[in-house]
Amino acid sequence: MKDVVICAASAVTALGDSLGESWARLLRGECGIRPLERFETSGYFSKVAACVPDLEPGRGGSRLTTLLERTLGGFAEVPPESLLFLATTKGEIDLLELERRGAEIDPRRLLSETVLGEIRRRTGVKGPGVNVNAACASATLALGRGAAAIACGDADAALVVCCDLVSEFVFSGFSALKALSSDRCRPFDAGRDGLSLGEGGAALLLMERSRADREGRPVLCRLLGWGAAGDAHHITAPARDGCGLILAVKRALQVAGIEAQRVDGISAHGTGTVFNDLMELTAFRTLFGDRKVPLHSVKGALGHTLGAAGGIEAALAIRSLESGLLPPTVGLRHPEPGGEGCVSAEALTFPGRILLSTNSGFGGINGALLLSREEAR
Amino acid sequence: MKIHVTGIGWVTAAGIGRGRRRDLFAWGTGELPALSRRELFSDPYPRFGRLDDFSRLGLAGIALALADAGLDAWQQKRPIGIVAETRLGCLATDIAYFDTVVSDGGALASPNLFAYTLSNTFLGEAAIRFGLTGPAFVANSEGGREIECLRLGIDSLRYGDCPIMVTGRCDLAPPRNIPIPDGHAGAIFLVLVGGEEPPPGSCGEIAWDSRGFATLDGVAASSWEELAAARSGVR
Repeated sequence: MKDVVICAASAVTALGDSLGESWARLLRGECGIRPLERFETSGYFSKVAACVPDLEPGRGGSRLTTLLERTLGGFAEVPPESLLFLATTKGEIDLLELERRGAEIDPRRLLSETVLGEIRRRTGVKGPGVNVNAACASATLALGRGAAAIACGDADAALVVCCDLVSEFVFSGFSALKALSSDRCRPFDAGRDGLSLGEGGAALLLMERSRADREGRPVLCRLLGWGAAGDAHHITAPARDGCGLILAVKRALQVAGIEAQRVDGISAHGTGTVFNDLMELTAFRTLFGDRKVPLHSVKGALGHTLGAAGGIEAALAIRSLESGLLPPTVGLRHPEPGGEGCVSAEALTFPGRILLSTNSGFGGINGALLLSREEAR
Repeated sequence: MKIHVTGIGWVTAAGIGRGRRRDLFAWGTGELPALSRRELFSDPYPRFGRLDDFSRLGLAGIALALADAGLDAWQQKRPIGIVAETRLGCLATDIAYFDTVVSDGGALASPNLFAYTLSNTFLGEAAIRFGLTGPAFVANSEGGREIECLRLGIDSLRYGDCPIMVTGRCDLAPPRNIPIPDGHAGAIFLVLVGGEEPPPGSCGEIAWDSRGFATLDGVAASSWEELAAARSGVR
């Protein structure tokens, strides 16, 4: 199997238009979840979300165009023959909202393939492209597909772009499901009461090691393992025993060829819902036993960015591996029983060698990535 | 690795069909047939009637393919994955859901409909119904490359994601007020299994060639009709 590395990464979040700015503010414990002004919230359970500041609609009327512009602006040169993976759950859903309220739109823009075309236009990628929709694990699965293709020798470069918006469509749905926190979400807190929505984008360039070396590309980290598995339990609620997540992590460990004890830290999905966070703690206890593996969630600061979450979190994981720091779990006051000694409202130091990143989504799908620091060679 | 097709199932305007029965596949024209629980499932399955149209169609295709492969009955969850190609996905459900939002400032938004506004939700339904724990995702390829799902399913087996993949496509007709051209309405799913020897009842050996064609027993195809022709020996 060929060695897969990440050579470039960008992220746009409620805390910044760059990975560096998002990371710095995240590390300071800042919160991007604010009162929503984008649409009327009086009919909803929550009034807050983590919106990217000043994200106005772009050409064609969707905010996604602007988000992609910021995510891909100044991004590294991408080999034209790269495979292209998009991870978005709802794409330009703001256009459907406009259409249902009587505006005229180009109906083709309701298809994800239009977003793929927009990415091609901005990056010059000509290789095969596909949107991977696995709900909130979309980006994690897309990164795994890209990595697998490179590891098996099908390609030596893959661009993964992920993006999702805060929209009334999604906000109203989570409100109707009573899944939103009434205030800012508090992942892994004993008093958590739901999630806060967020929006953002990320781009990651995966490459086969020898090509990256040959082209003098920076190696930000290695992508050691990837896995995905289903709960086969419920379409919106996670399996309480974490069976699907456990399978996904075991598969990632198998691909990486390492034992669970080599995992130094965890970037958890950590949505702030009662059942998700409990499920994750249960799964991690099954996987790691009594060992207190440091873990964190970014969603108390960045909100839940849906299909983009796994990509943004993988980009931030690169910074964690570089610095040996896990960002604070913003909003945490009293850890959920089982999370004590693992999760903290302060930044945590960790050995910084191997980081596990996990996501789970509707449909009972779970994804796991294992990223490792690039050691001096 | 050799990959074998062990089951095929479809729902199109031409009817409901299965591969091992040697039914002839065609997209047909007009409305898709009504899907009844009794026709697809041997035991009571009240959830089926409550699904949105997109999920019901996709689940029917998967159920028919698994039944054709003899994999519909189970006692323990199994590492079988699913990849489903779609162009429109759950757009019709999205519209139906958001109309419940617009009507009253969100106060009457339907949580039941919202759960089906992700194109991959029906994969979760299939996973629950048939105990499937493999990787599952919906793929949207560019230009509606309709057999792209075969490449994705074949790759999943080659990558070692799981030993069996259910792969296919599913699309409803475009909503009347949002005319999006091209594409067939219907669902077709194949069960793919890796292995040197063809399993009993195999419908053929499938591969993906470097030109972007699927091959069934060595015959290249770029569409479902061509694939069906390859299987029936019509050249």
